[in-house]
Amino acid sequence: MSNLLSVENLTMKFGGLTAIDDLSFDAKNNQITSIIGPNGAGKTTVFNCLTGFYKPTNGQMFLHKEDSKISLRKYTDFKIAYVAKVARTFQNIRLFPAMSVLENLLVAQHNELMVASGYSLFGLLNLKTYRDKEKLAVDKARYWLDIIGLTHRADDNAGDLPYGDQRKLEIVRAMCIEPRLLCLDEPAAGLNPKESAELNKLLKFIKTEKQTGILLIEHDMSVVMGISDHVVVLNYGKKIFEGTADQTKNSKEVIEAYLGVDE
Amino acid sequence: MEKKDIIQSFKDSLFTGLIALALFGPIVGLRTVSKGEGLFITPQWGVVFLLVGLCILGRFLININSARRKEFKIFSTLSSKFSSITEDKAKHFAITGILFAVVFPFLPFTDRYFMDVAIMILTYIMLGWGLNIVVGLAGLLDLGYVAFYAVGAYSYALIATTFGWSFWICLPLAGVFAAFFGILLGFPVLRLRGDYLAIVTLGFGEIIRIILINWYEVTNGPDGITGIPRPSFFGLPFKRSPDEGETSFHLFFNLEYSTMHRIIFLYYLILVLALITNYFTLKIRKLPVGRAWEALREDEIACKSLGVNPTNTKLTAFAIGAMFGGFAGSFFATRQAFISPESFTFIESAIIVAIVVLGGMGSQTGVVLASIFLIGITEMFRDLEQFRMIAFGGAMVLIMVFKPKGILANRKPTILMHGDKK
Repeated sequence: MSNLLSVENLTMKFGGLTAIDDLSFDAKNNQITSIIGPNGAGKTTVFNCLTGFYKPTNGQMFLHKEDSKISLRKYTDFKIAYVAKVARTFQNIRLFPAMSVLENLLVAQHNELMVASGYSLFGLLNLKTYRDKEKLAVDKARYWLDIIGLTHRADDNAGDLPYGDQRKLEIVRAMCIEPRLLCLDEPAAGLNPKESAELNKLLKFIKTEKQTGILLIEHDMSVVMGISDHVVVLNYGKKIFEGTADQTKNSKEVIEAYLGVDE
Repeated sequence: MEKKDIIQSFKDSLFTGLIALALFGPIVGLRTVSKGEGLFITPQWGVVFLLVGLCILGRFLININSARRKEFKIFSTLSSKFSSITEDKAKHFAITGILFAVVFPFLPFTDRYFMDVAIMILTYIMLGWGLNIVVGLAGLLDLGYVAFYAVGAYSYALIATTFGWSFWICLPLAGVFAAFFGILLGFPVLRLRGDYLAIVTLGFGEIIRIILINWYEVTNGPDGITGIPRPSFFGLPFKRSPDEGETSFHLFFNLEYSTMHRIIFLYYLILVLALITNYFTLKIRKLPVGRAWEALREDEIACKSLGVNPTNTKLTAFAIGAMFGGFAGSFFATRQAFISPESFTFIESAIIVAIVVLGGMGSQTGVVLASIFLIGITEMFRDLEQFRMIAFGGAMVLIMVFKPKGILANRKPTILMHGDKK
């Protein structure tokens, strides 16, 4: 399987604090790569570097396309999602709470719709080309809502949904930009066992049907061990282990640093 | 009522009296009178004691009146009923409102004074709708909106007096200039949010006003610009005796000359401008850029993570909001025929922001109601002179107490998947 993302010697320093120290790992196409580790290990910082919220002190991040590769360092904030097609979700859900579920999914398709609306000109004239494009966008939203079973709530405010549904909505909203790499920051936080089982199903579906690589930060081991193809373990900003889920479970360093021993 | 309660409420009213004394003592009690050479203080403690006594008595009566809560409840249920009616029948309400506005000049009780007030209210409605794009939709608190109003007014005044171009050419130009200034303001404040943004926009408003005062060669400084051309009715001026080779409005339509013609024309002009603003806002809200504005208001970081360009989105909001401010400004200039920096002080910005916030952020109908309420009440109490601002403040307090989220706070989605379900 081909590489999708390669992180090379990534270092991020905040003043004297080294949050990520010389981190290198690869993530492959159509795989779920999990990043685990204790709190403060630098997992979210890796995400923030990848998705352009931070500029890393050192190191390179490449996203591979068929033959070429693009450096993520070159893109900052919104361009990561727009040009490089790297989508992310957040540790504390960031939906647009006062907007409807459907509107949330349409904002994710903003750039295509903007072009279709002739930068608002055609839209103001109410041309058919724009109306057709808008219908397509709604169809895409409906497709994703059908998958997470929220179609009946499409016109309700996103902030009114139960917590678990908000998590799922945030993931499919990120999928609406048709990303090549999807970065999920603790998607299972606060979910009950039934909800995290549903989440597993959704992530597996995205991986196999949508051909999207997934990068996952998670503390819930049932999720991590259940669906990860590859696990990277961080501690104090350093990679201490990398391997399959089974290897990780049995690794001495990982157990010492993070998983702990059963009594 | 128990004895304890009575004592309690008595104590409370005494405390109220203390506050009243602290307030009324210096304000009312010490009256300055100019006698001959200098200023002398004449104490009038009698009035103070009367006022304080009234406060104590009033508070005590309110306290012991257990029916008070009930009454207030009636008021708030009434107001919530009112807003639910207007929301259910928003369309009917809007159409009735527009129809009323159209026939208003020809109603029997309408006189010159009513027309002037109506024109003023409509100007504020238009400004409120313009600012609603920036504050209500994009969530960028702009306390310097009057700057764009001023830019529009001065653009019109300067172009019209220098080149003698007609109102209909100057109007779009004024809008373009104001939009340009909107972008000019937008750039430095792109990274700012909330309080910081408010402070910078406030400063921007003041900068524009101070430039207008000091750039004497161009703006004529504090003296202002006089002799701004009045608008004509598609080439027909509103004059009693037209110049050679001109036909004036009343001659063309064979009417008796009346100054009301021009007032009515101005009224319809601002009505049309305001309705265009409204139509445009309602339309653009349903377009991707409108949704991006609202998304930006909700969560800027999430917007970035979805590939929405926050820079462009904010700048378009500033530019379009400013453009409508500019239109309103050129209307103001042509109506007054005289403008000076005096007309563009911070209080104007504050009133417009108050209209938007009290109307319910983002609600178009709310802006109308808040304008009528705030401006109308201030006008009703005009006889009280400077104390009418108390009425203005009172109106604001009333809205904040009973409708803390604004008169009409409900937001309707811009697009529905399942259609309108009733």
